[in-house]
Amino acid sequence: MKNGRLDAVDRSDSFGFGVRAMADGAWGFAASQIVTAQEADRVGALAVEIAKASALTKKRDATLAPVDPVRATYETPMDFDPFAMSFDDRIKLLMNAEVRMRERKGLRTTRAAYAVWREDKLFMSSEGADITQRLTEVGGGIAAEAVGNGELQIRTYPDGLRYQNAGGWEILTRWDLIGNAERVADEAVALLSAKPCPQDAITTVILSGNQLSLQCHESCGHPIELDRALGSEAAFAGTSFLTPDKLGTFRYGSSQVNIRIDATSEGGLGTFGFDDEGVPASEGWAVKDGIFVGYLMSRETAAALGTRSNGTMRADGWARVPIIRMTNVSVMPGSAGTLDDLVADTDDGILMDTNRSWSIDDKRFNFQFGTEIGWEIKKGKRRDMVRNPTYTGLTPEFWGSCDAICSESEWVMWGTPNCGKGQPGQGAHTGHGAAPARFRDVRVGVIK
Amino acid sequence: MSGILFGERELRGIAERALRAAKGDQAEALVIGRTGSLTRFANSAIHQNVTSREADLRVRVVVGTRRATATTNRLDDEGIRRAAELASDLARRAPEDPTFPGLPAPRVIPSSPSAYVEKTAEATPLDRARAVKTMCDSATAVRLIAAGFVSTNVQEIAVASTLGTWAYAPETFAEAQIAAIGDDGSAFAQRVSMDVTSLDVNGAAAEAVGKATIAQHPRDLAPGTYEVVLAPYAVRDMVGFLGLQLNGLAIEEGRSFVGGKIGRSVTGPITLVEDPYDSRSIPRAFDFEGQPSDRVTLIEKGVARGVVYDSVTAHRGKVENTGHATPFLIQPAPMHMRLEAGDKTRDQLVAGVKKGVLVTRFWYTRWVHQLRTIVTGMTRDGTFAILDGEIVHPVKNFRFTQSYHEALGGVRGISKDLSLLMTGEQFGLMTSAQRVPALHLAAFTFTGSTRY
Repeated sequence: MKNGRLDAVDRSDSFGFGVRAMADGAWGFAASQIVTAQEADRVGALAVEIAKASALTKKRDATLAPVDPVRATYETPMDFDPFAMSFDDRIKLLMNAEVRMRERKGLRTTRAAYAVWREDKLFMSSEGADITQRLTEVGGGIAAEAVGNGELQIRTYPDGLRYQNAGGWEILTRWDLIGNAERVADEAVALLSAKPCPQDAITTVILSGNQLSLQCHESCGHPIELDRALGSEAAFAGTSFLTPDKLGTFRYGSSQVNIRIDATSEGGLGTFGFDDEGVPASEGWAVKDGIFVGYLMSRETAAALGTRSNGTMRADGWARVPIIRMTNVSVMPGSAGTLDDLVADTDDGILMDTNRSWSIDDKRFNFQFGTEIGWEIKKGKRRDMVRNPTYTGLTPEFWGSCDAICSESEWVMWGTPNCGKGQPGQGAHTGHGAAPARFRDVRVGVIK
Repeated sequence: MSGILFGERELRGIAERALRAAKGDQAEALVIGRTGSLTRFANSAIHQNVTSREADLRVRVVVGTRRATATTNRLDDEGIRRAAELASDLARRAPEDPTFPGLPAPRVIPSSPSAYVEKTAEATPLDRARAVKTMCDSATAVRLIAAGFVSTNVQEIAVASTLGTWAYAPETFAEAQIAAIGDDGSAFAQRVSMDVTSLDVNGAAAEAVGKATIAQHPRDLAPGTYEVVLAPYAVRDMVGFLGLQLNGLAIEEGRSFVGGKIGRSVTGPITLVEDPYDSRSIPRAFDFEGQPSDRVTLIEKGVARGVVYDSVTAHRGKVENTGHATPFLIQPAPMHMRLEAGDKTRDQLVAGVKKGVLVTRFWYTRWVHQLRTIVTGMTRDGTFAILDGEIVHPVKNFRFTQSYHEALGGVRGISKDLSLLMTGEQFGLMTSAQRVPALHLAAFTFTGSTRY
């Protein structure tokens, strides 16, 4: 919905198969949407032909860490199947929220959107795996935009129109879109005349949970991808400052910082039964008490480290080769209480909420983020609204300055349904649990 | 034609079956077929090597002012019928949109240069592997590591509607990218061509390897505002971001830097045109609604002249449709931009810099402030200090936070050669090609730096 009318409604489906083959110690992949035995023969042979061509530049044979092939099934648990609902029932929620936003004067554009997504996949391997999975996700949100004073300001709820979780329609109804519509609209308009973010200042920053989730995605989730660390993405997505020699010893953040890799988390976009190499979903630590201790791995990269895969190979559909992707990489809750408690405990700083701009270098070291809105914090109170808030830093220094993370009551499983990686390009859905957190001595305000 | 999934007759048959199955006042079918093959290498060896054949049908059904779309890759009778019925059902249930003008009436599509080269369609896995080996060997010979890809691609686009629209075009392109990587520094090069036999793999390798050898051991240079020379890879990023605002929807939503400024100066003396008929680009004479695409002068010698539209934004803006609908119909876009050439060689651009920075490539660029076209991002794969017209040493990568159109206010030199580059993967196909020069700009603001 946009400005009180339907902007777009689309239903899309795609069906096909891909074959990843190893021949002469090298990899080939071919895919087709013609699902017949004859086409399977052709595509399988093509994958082998491609693998043999790959061997032209081979330095050593590809080696895979072992996995126990299984016959299994997995299905995303849910309360209300979104595909069993009528379109009319689904759109009603958006229309009601959109109408409520438009009651506020001064908005240029209002938007409301939902997405329901399902993937049915069968994984079989020549090693004997036979795994069927059905994954279901639901997401959506509302947005209000105001234009004036040379500014375009936006507020969204719950997270930039890209909030998404694994599960059923209950995911969307647990957020009060209608109840928050008026506030979102008010804040978008108020931002036009809010004071600008302090320029080039060093201060304390409190990040909302949804912003911390993206901070984690970009500055922890990507650098712990072992394919990056080993150079496989060097020309495109980049490499990683977290090189294998740092594993187990490098201080990534303060002792407050604990980051978990967990493909079993309830509702996470990286929650599944098995990855696309047939490795079962697993859980473990990426960062424990501030120390970097774990990678996201495939069978091939795990073999390079002499260990077993932790099951993070995922393909963006049948026509793409699986690559290492984040599952759910989450910042675990601390003991700082609620967000109000954390603000009350902060003498001076800025609270920044909901991502609007994100950028990080190709080793995942230098980052800069902007959020939709900020508030000055003075003597433990949330004070004036701040527009165009931005902050920047270097990953280990930033996480090293984290001195408080809110408690479990504030922890939410957020999601990134649009993570790009690979060539040809692949999108992945990744989960990131997070609660608000505080960082000291952060550089803020980069635009004049 | 080998390599092509269907051909015009087959795609027309699919589209017509979809239109017959649709239940509404109007219907439109977009059919896209593509075979993409990409051989990817890292650590000087192929590690991913893929090919896929894909085709999709998108059906748009209109009932009064209601409309909906359904997309499927099931192109048998049952799959086509199901998609058409889904779109029809959703269209009947969708809320009214009084601003929707209905589907555009068919218009004559001018002829354009062919964008299809048979030899690109016929390229084999071994052809691509040999090209990769050429690049890897160039890097290895000077103790560098190579990473990148070689791809060959075939795509077909067909649009039909119940109003009589029919448009079809096959396209091919080949692409090579290489990053040459040393112990402490890297460099990047890219080549794109419709014809795989003229894809300059050797040139890409020589450029990346040559630049990487002088990119080792970068030094610190304090962030600040510097004169810059931007290689075409970086210029492409600027043109791409500005293109996002040079369309009717951006004007309508109040997020374009040219909103209310048509006829006024918005940059320095650059000329940016949208030219779907440029035979040295990847030409295409129609858009994804099957409408003829116009040549549009976007910026002429720094003065904003126009933006592009699709049928819906043109109707709402009460202007002529320029024929720039995109596959998802989200917003119109210029898909064949050309930043016009100047009169300098690239060496002359560097020679004109007193104290500045040469940037090869931008990375991870994102809006910070759309209306002011402020973008943040990093430099990458070859950043150098320039002093008195000479490249003096590599520097560690910068973060920049800079208004792109304001940076173009200080154009001091434009190269006389243009590079063909591609961006804009949508709907599984590449929609946008750009031809851009290198630029010498008077001022560009680097707001931070990294440690490599």
